[in-house]
Amino acid sequence: MKKHRAFFVSLTWLIVFLLTDACVEKIDFDLPGARFQYVVDGLISDQSTPYQVKISKSLSLEADSIVNSPVSNALITLFEDQKPVEVFFEESAGLYTTKGTTRGKVGRSYFITIQTEDGKKFQSEPETIKEVGEVKAINYEFEARKTKIVADEIDSNVFNIFIDASATDSPENYVRWRYTGNYKMDTQPELHLTWTPPYTPYKNPPPCSGYKIGPGPPGSGGLLVKIGECTCCTCWIYQYETMPTVSNGQLIVNGQFRNIKVGEVPINSTSFYEKFMITVEQMSLSKDAYDFFKLIRAQKESASSLFQPQTGEIKGNLRPINNEDLMIGLFWATSIKRKHTFINRSDVPYNLPATDIPADACTDFRNSTNVKPAFWE
Amino acid sequence: MFKSLLLFFLILAGCTLQAQPVLEIQLDGSEQGKPLPVFLKEVEQKVGVRFYFRTEWLEQFFFDDSYRGKTLKQALEKVFQGTDLSYFFMSPLQVVIIKDFSQSALRANVLETAIRQRKKIIPYTFGDLKKSVNDRLVVISGRVVDAKTKEPLINAAIAVSDNSKVFITDELGNYRVSLVPGAHVLTFSFADHEDRVIDLIAYADGKINLEMDDIPILLEEVVVQDREAREITTNRIGQVQMSMKELKRAPAMLGEVDLVKQVQTLAGVTTVGEAASGFNVRGGSVDQNLILYDGMPVFNSAHVFGFFSAFNSEAIRDVSFYRGGIPAEFGGRASSVLDIKSKDGNYKRWNGSGGIGMLTSNLMLNGPLVKDKTSLAASFRSTYSNWLIHSVKTNYADLSKSNVSFYDGTLKLAHLYSQKTKLSLTGYASKDAFRLLGDSTYQWTNLQLSAQVDHQLSEKLAAEFAAGVSSYGYNVVNADFATASELSYRITTTLAKAGFHFQEGNKKINFGWQLLHYQFDPGILKPNSPISNAKSISMDKQYSIESAFHASKDWLVNKNILVEGGLRLPIFVSFGPGSVNIYKEGGSIETTNQINTLTYKTAEPIKSYVGLEPRLSARWLLSATQSFKLGYNRMYQFLHLVTNTTAVTPVDIWQPSGYYFKPQIADQVSVGYFADYKEKKYGLSTEVFYKTIQNVLDFKDGAQLILNTHLETDLRQGASRSYGIETSLTKNTGRITGSLNYTYSRSFRTIPGINSGNQYASNFDQPHVVNLAWKYSLGRRIFFTGNFTYHSGRPVTIPLSVFTYENNSAAYFSERNQYRIADYHRLDVALVIEGNSKRKKKGESTWVFSVYNVYGRKNPYAIFFKNSALGIPQPYQLSIIGTLLPSVSYNFKFL
Repeated sequence: MKKHRAFFVSLTWLIVFLLTDACVEKIDFDLPGARFQYVVDGLISDQSTPYQVKISKSLSLEADSIVNSPVSNALITLFEDQKPVEVFFEESAGLYTTKGTTRGKVGRSYFITIQTEDGKKFQSEPETIKEVGEVKAINYEFEARKTKIVADEIDSNVFNIFIDASATDSPENYVRWRYTGNYKMDTQPELHLTWTPPYTPYKNPPPCSGYKIGPGPPGSGGLLVKIGECTCCTCWIYQYETMPTVSNGQLIVNGQFRNIKVGEVPINSTSFYEKFMITVEQMSLSKDAYDFFKLIRAQKESASSLFQPQTGEIKGNLRPINNEDLMIGLFWATSIKRKHTFINRSDVPYNLPATDIPADACTDFRNSTNVKPAFWE
Repeated sequence: MFKSLLLFFLILAGCTLQAQPVLEIQLDGSEQGKPLPVFLKEVEQKVGVRFYFRTEWLEQFFFDDSYRGKTLKQALEKVFQGTDLSYFFMSPLQVVIIKDFSQSALRANVLETAIRQRKKIIPYTFGDLKKSVNDRLVVISGRVVDAKTKEPLINAAIAVSDNSKVFITDELGNYRVSLVPGAHVLTFSFADHEDRVIDLIAYADGKINLEMDDIPILLEEVVVQDREAREITTNRIGQVQMSMKELKRAPAMLGEVDLVKQVQTLAGVTTVGEAASGFNVRGGSVDQNLILYDGMPVFNSAHVFGFFSAFNSEAIRDVSFYRGGIPAEFGGRASSVLDIKSKDGNYKRWNGSGGIGMLTSNLMLNGPLVKDKTSLAASFRSTYSNWLIHSVKTNYADLSKSNVSFYDGTLKLAHLYSQKTKLSLTGYASKDAFRLLGDSTYQWTNLQLSAQVDHQLSEKLAAEFAAGVSSYGYNVVNADFATASELSYRITTTLAKAGFHFQEGNKKINFGWQLLHYQFDPGILKPNSPISNAKSISMDKQYSIESAFHASKDWLVNKNILVEGGLRLPIFVSFGPGSVNIYKEGGSIETTNQINTLTYKTAEPIKSYVGLEPRLSARWLLSATQSFKLGYNRMYQFLHLVTNTTAVTPVDIWQPSGYYFKPQIADQVSVGYFADYKEKKYGLSTEVFYKTIQNVLDFKDGAQLILNTHLETDLRQGASRSYGIETSLTKNTGRITGSLNYTYSRSFRTIPGINSGNQYASNFDQPHVVNLAWKYSLGRRIFFTGNFTYHSGRPVTIPLSVFTYENNSAAYFSERNQYRIADYHRLDVALVIEGNSKRKKKGESTWVFSVYNVYGRKNPYAIFFKNSALGIPQPYQLSIIGTLLPSVSYNFKFL
């Protein structure tokens, strides 16, 4: 009997051993030779000029960074109601800008033509700027969350941001809400140390800190000497939406969109150093643009789930004229209404720990700028 | 030499021409009561013709009054019919009566073989020669039942020795065989049962009711041979009768015998991935298969995704699978029918069987509650598979905290009121619960209760009446404290049906009616903790009825051509209470275009559909060993499984037809050629099919299906077409038996609003499928079995590149289903050791040692895309079984 049991135990372990072989693995598909597509990202609105169009090449799935590969020397012409009105100039590699002579108007239709350096022509579908309702209220709601890390859980609380907005009388209310967050960050770049192991750290204030290292007592590493104003001590960090939010008819009640979640504000002592500014733009969309953003959202929502819904081809509204190449992306025309609000540090329902002041140039932080946003009070 | 031959033929031809006048004399009644030799002598004197014969051959024949007025030629032909006697003209005035020994020899040969194989031979005699009425065929009829359970054996084959004809028992086990009067050998065979050989002398109609015994230890020829015989002679194309005993001998994953896995090895049937739920038939989706368990529809046939089927093989009596030429009594799904019938308990004594595997164990007990009157069969199966799931380690997720559990049980009570009336009550329950990743626990249940009365109304008319209720539902319990919630979904089906089977001579008519009432609870989400942020959502219930009348008739056009025609008239009504979203006329169906909501009161019809489904099956026997078959069927499908994931998940939803969703309408034509070679040692079959489906449903890119009150905005309907050729070669006898089948088929969809309206390959488009199965008898009770399966990888939509927009990035995916995952192939082998073959024994046992996935192929279960740190989706495949998997299982039976 013992012998039998030993046999079964060994057999079970053998199977367990065999099963522990990795069963999830990355797979490769035999992709066609030309793996990049032209990508266009641009819009015209009824807001102030200039308008910008970016042209780049798509990246390989194996790319080790999301850095655009810009497409330069393209000729982009803007058409209003079928008439050419302005030619974009290339402000920087792959970034094309209008000179500001044309301003989008509600009810007019716009499209662009693109001619690449090698003579390939593309055109966007004409888009009419439609009226848009406005964001009536921005509300926020605290949500307690935990995030699992290796053997522990940490707080990752958020404020969920909801809006109420008005719809237009149009039966087709294709609307997008673009959420942007801003928070202020103070840094002390003059205290920046450079750590280059195995050497002892040494003082290394960046020039934008307004300080340099002057002579000092031996062993002090020198003394900080102010030589000008700091231009990287105060910044505003932009928090962009992780996925676009588009309208859904089921949320329209009496011509109003109610309680639509547009974003999340992470609660920590950095994002609530002072206060957090929320900007929500309500933007009218064509059907093409609506489908484009809706598909992107679906793709983002389904990512990494085992039972994930299949997502499909996201093309946009550009088509080739004299070639077979694929140009994806969107040149869209929209009317925009903006609303801002602030959440103060005191609105956080518990005491946040004191904020660490980093000893770095604030402009080195991702999505940061030292230009104060227009509505920051 | 040539001249002599020519002269001989000329004389022979001349004889034939002149033969008529001699035998054209009319019988005037004077011949009555005289033995045939005496009468022929009188004719010799009267006409001057000379008859040569042996008196003892003919002295038993007499002419009665029924011969008056007939010519002598007609009279002789009639009297010799069914005997081995015949005549020819040696010269215009010389008639030789001869005895053809070939028929007798054939009969003797069948009997000798039966004796050699120790088959039981039962002699039967009906009528006697002297009193026989020789102007018509005799009809032998009766019923074939299982000796232990008294269950009728459906599609049992009855082979007639001397003319290679095979007859089949009907839905109630009844058969009717028409024979020329005389001596014959009838061989009755049925899967997993011992052959019965009847040494028959029939000069009058007779009745033979047969009880067939289970094969104690299996003679390998039996099962396959009888299936092959049926393939040649049954009128239905695309029908397969499955053997549960063969199933138990096949190598199985971790020793788990699985009905659905067996179905997946049939020609024309595929699956989208390893352990995927359900099966795909001729390019159709999983929901297009009607799975019936004792007549009740089953909505989810899988345990643990698709690892195991929800049916315990111990509880199953027989299984019929139809993929073409589907009979009119079945309907409601577009592609195939899997009709599973459960076992009755033994009416004589209690016995049991069971199996112990590495993942599950099962037990079945059955026996009489009242001897020969009432029987009970109960079976239960459960798993201890947690150890398996805990041992799967992946980079993707930690499965060590996952749980998997399931059980299923059946209870069947059968009562024989009389030889003519039987009542059966069946209860079936199954439950699954698994927590695979994160905090969500998935649970699904099948519950079913049905009752059936079979009654023989008269000699020619039998009827069955059934009623039942089934409930399928799932729950997803999310235990995350912030979003704790429970999502529930349920379909409740109530069924009533009546079927009638009429048979008189070769005339066979089936007709009936069925009514199904469905109640869908399409989704309720409730927060299940006070601090949960989940919002309460409750979808409107949906109600519908599906009713269908059906009738079919068999026509024996001539002895070689048999045609079964049928009609089915389905009516589907979706009714209130409920509400329907109305969109701007002429605009696209988008939530943003909604202008109104219509509300319907209780029982107020929302939408109704009526269909007409012609069915046709025809068989043309080219010879005793070859047949040509044709099938056409139109099928309406009113319930649609809506899924937009790469793998079928337990939380997919069934959507009934209604205001926006039209029924799917499938038309299929199939033709086939079937042949046997070398006395049925080898069998060959080829079927070609072409199938179109209107209104097939597919999802728009980015669709959200669960808890969607505007589902019509995310789904589109269009056309599907599939075609293919299925070839199967079998070796039925000898130490090594097996089958090899190859299928080439394609399946495409064209749906406005999906893939820019361009045609795309369906998820189930797997052009090449090869299945090889064999069984090598190492001894009388030891077999080495195996199977190899290969199919083209299924189509998928994959990311091709990454692009940036605004301050974000997204993946550019290919057009729908433009790429394929890696081909699927796998080899499994098993060593089967069966117990003793003594008839008087207390038990039987079988050991199955098997190795699944012998060469460790990592076949994909699902493809999914996981974002890299940069947010770039990378394709991953989850292979549930990534290595070879040895297992052992033990099955036992105590008698």
